[in-house]
Amino acid sequence: MVEPSLVLYGALYQRAMDVLQETLQETGARYALFVDRKGFVLAHKEALWAPKPPPLDSLATLVAGNAAATQALAKLLGEARFQEVVHQGERMGLYVDEASEFALLVLVFDDNAPLGKVKLHGKRAAETLARLAEEALANPPKLNLDTQYREEARALLDELFGN
Amino acid sequence: MSTINFANREINFKIVYYGPGLSGKTTNLKWIYSRIPEGRKGEMVSLATEDERTLFFDFLPLDLGEVKGFKTRFHLYTVPGQVFYNASRKLILRGVDGIVFVADSAPNRLRANAESMRNMRENLAEYGLRVEDIPVVLQVNKRDLPDALPVEMIQAVVDPQGRFPVFEAVATEGKGVFETLKEVSRLVLARVGST
Repeated sequence: MVEPSLVLYGALYQRAMDVLQETLQETGARYALFVDRKGFVLAHKEALWAPKPPPLDSLATLVAGNAAATQALAKLLGEARFQEVVHQGERMGLYVDEASEFALLVLVFDDNAPLGKVKLHGKRAAETLARLAEEALANPPKLNLDTQYREEARALLDELFGN
Repeated sequence: MSTINFANREINFKIVYYGPGLSGKTTNLKWIYSRIPEGRKGEMVSLATEDERTLFFDFLPLDLGEVKGFKTRFHLYTVPGQVFYNASRKLILRGVDGIVFVADSAPNRLRANAESMRNMRENLAEYGLRVEDIPVVLQVNKRDLPDALPVEMIQAVVDPQGRFPVFEAVATEGKGVFETLKEVSRLVLARVGST
């Protein structure tokens, strides 16, 4: 199966942002991300009090790689899936849960956020986001990019990579 | 398929550098990282062993700039080339938009080139993809080796039908690195405009 393109747009995007915001408030986590399994960020929210996050691209890529490896391990052990993944250090923690076959919820939290709350609300949020992802896949927006996009992009390729 | 973020007006593409172990995939990314100006690149992430062999992947995000109101970005990945890391290699191919196949010019790596291409076809098939379905560029690396095989010979084993554009390279010196990346980017972008 060719990987479908998961596109969040308009009301769906707003609903995803609302879910992330609510989850931050309920859990006390620092950052909440909705990422696709390819490692691209679809939406993210930061708590107002949180310091600057690490590079989100790197975070999403590593989480997606880790999730893919975890899924492969589950299959090796005869399991359909291992759903959530929690990593906890001395000060920081990471919660990752499936939000459909094509996306993931990521919560970054510190030692002020109780793990029980993170897991409870994280699970609920992941379920809601999974429904949003399925809705988005069922109604993909039309991109409407024409040859002009290609020409402008080609000019930028020349600029960045040389002639 | 590219990932489009309408809310942030972003289009993201995933380009994977594939090929046998030690053919120069990571060297390509390192060269690109060293030459792209700040502000147009993110952090390069390398998941490697202590002796600098790729264990899972290398990752480098690049910003092409804004095209018709969309920030256009490329995420470059390498796969681990060593044969026994196939499970990891397969994972990296998920959602790929374009591939650079980095072949090694050394005579004793001819078979490894062919094996790696066969392995790439098999791994793509797991995602329901054929090499004909996505842009692939062949980079024949290490052209500075004194006993480098002729390009045609390498092409004959990895792409006998001559489907893929070919670039000669010496990645340690940056020769052919940007030419290859530019071509695969162009092919990937062309598909967006045409769908």
